[in-house]
Amino acid sequence: MAERRFEDLRWPNDDPIVDIPELSVELGERLIVFGPNGAGKTTLLRLIAAIEGEGGTPYASYLPQRPYLFRGTCRANLYLGLGTDARGKAEDLADRLGVGDRLDDQARTLSGGERMRLSLARTLSVDTPLVLLDEPLAPLDLRDRESVAAVIVDALDGRTAMIVTHDRDTAAMLGDRLAIMIDGKILQLGPVAEVLATPTDDTVAEIVGVSNVIDGNVVGRHGALVEIEWGAHRFFALGDHAPGTPVKVLFGGEAVGVHKSLLGESSPRNLFPGVVSEVRETGRLAEVVIDCGSPVVALITPGSLDTLDLAPGSDVHVSVKATAARAVAVGEAE
Amino acid sequence: MDFLADVIQDAVDFLTGSGGELGEVVLLTLVVAGLATTIGVAVGVPFGVWLGLTEARGKALIWTLVNVGMGIPPVLVGLFVLLLLWSDGPLGSLNILFTPLAMVIVQVFLAMPIAAGVTAGAVASLSPDAREQLDALHLPPVRRTGVVVREVWPGVAAAVAAAFGRVVSEVGAVLIVGGNILGETRVLTTAIVQETRQARFGAALALGIVLLVIAFAVNGTLTWLQFRERGVG
Repeated sequence: MAERRFEDLRWPNDDPIVDIPELSVELGERLIVFGPNGAGKTTLLRLIAAIEGEGGTPYASYLPQRPYLFRGTCRANLYLGLGTDARGKAEDLADRLGVGDRLDDQARTLSGGERMRLSLARTLSVDTPLVLLDEPLAPLDLRDRESVAAVIVDALDGRTAMIVTHDRDTAAMLGDRLAIMIDGKILQLGPVAEVLATPTDDTVAEIVGVSNVIDGNVVGRHGALVEIEWGAHRFFALGDHAPGTPVKVLFGGEAVGVHKSLLGESSPRNLFPGVVSEVRETGRLAEVVIDCGSPVVALITPGSLDTLDLAPGSDVHVSVKATAARAVAVGEAE
Repeated sequence: MDFLADVIQDAVDFLTGSGGELGEVVLLTLVVAGLATTIGVAVGVPFGVWLGLTEARGKALIWTLVNVGMGIPPVLVGLFVLLLLWSDGPLGSLNILFTPLAMVIVQVFLAMPIAAGVTAGAVASLSPDAREQLDALHLPPVRRTGVVVREVWPGVAAAVAAAFGRVVSEVGAVLIVGGNILGETRVLTTAIVQETRQARFGAALALGIVLLVIAFAVNGTLTWLQFRERGVG
């Protein structure tokens, strides 16, 4: 697959905050840069946006973490740096992002979330092959994030994007691949679900946690839960999506129970048969990968590992508390 | 007290009866100071924007030079320009010494550092978020300068007011390169000096009042623009 390569992403030269010898971004993908505060994520975007250092590209549209609106109307800010042909698209995006009716107001009257929406509309309207977004969903209310994510994906329209976040839901909603960044370096890079489920080392596991991400379509709603068709299984998770919506379900490895025999009357809704495919003892906890049609990672104590006598090939049942799993709509164009 | 009353009476008589001569002096004052301020601001403000934003090496040295320029004695600038324009000087062939053009040139050098320094001070106070956004927008230089000027507009208005105030009230430099020739290069400040030397205090006071009115009108307009831009809330 065609890719865009950045080399010597290092800044500053003495005692660098970011030190990445090489980073390849596949054309058309949405690459999530994920990591704790102070990992150098913002500095990485600034390097790639050619604001800092060398090795970046001026052909990137960059949305800073705290977008700033200048004196004047929202419309003047929306048009800033846009050619006349991009203005219509910007206004359309402002509409879809819920700030279309504020364009004639003074920019200083906008709330933090509205500032981000207006700035997103402008950033996404610039016709550049690479779009860089720094925490685009952070100032938004939780309930609005999915709809804004959908607009972002639609507006990118196949362009390459790098999106910084330290939120797992945002990563799952927006990302194709996930780069884990810690102390200025990228420690792991791969498909979102794979990286969240299988951290390569303890440092990554400690910071990112072990999470499962499964894909499916909503087939029904039951109170606070949605029923999702997941391969041959039905999976229940928190959500309020309409039937037919493609979703991803996120749940931590700690929410997964592993059982040698079927449970009694208190059996959870999410109970699936599977076969242990891998056992990794990575420190104080053990990760057990169970093939239930798709892999599910469980995080258990070494004590349980012994009691259950788990080894590759063991037949088990996997349970997941429905209230510990959350469905998010996949950011795909409608 | 009789003395002051006489001076004031003379001043009133001068203002009401002087006619064309006063008009010429006022007009030349406005043209010279206005042109010098316009050119000084046109160069100084964009330079101030650049200086306020730059992270270039040596910016401390440039700031220092601008600050020195803001405080440099006008007579010294007048002397430098006189030496340049003197008939045997490097630009003597231009033959513009003791003309209004020479006065404009000398005052541009006085207005520029003020416009640049005050603007740079205002721009330097922009928040890191605003600077980051400016960098992110990758605007062409002229557009970028325009956005910054609008953002720090009250500071730029103060820069314009300070530049105009410096040139309109300045006497040493215009006297040296202009020569205070009646009907040709006499402006309000040099006229005040002239009248005072000849002990015509009423006329000097009258000219001073006109100068004050001009300063008040210009600064009043700029202040009004400053507040109008700030708006309410």
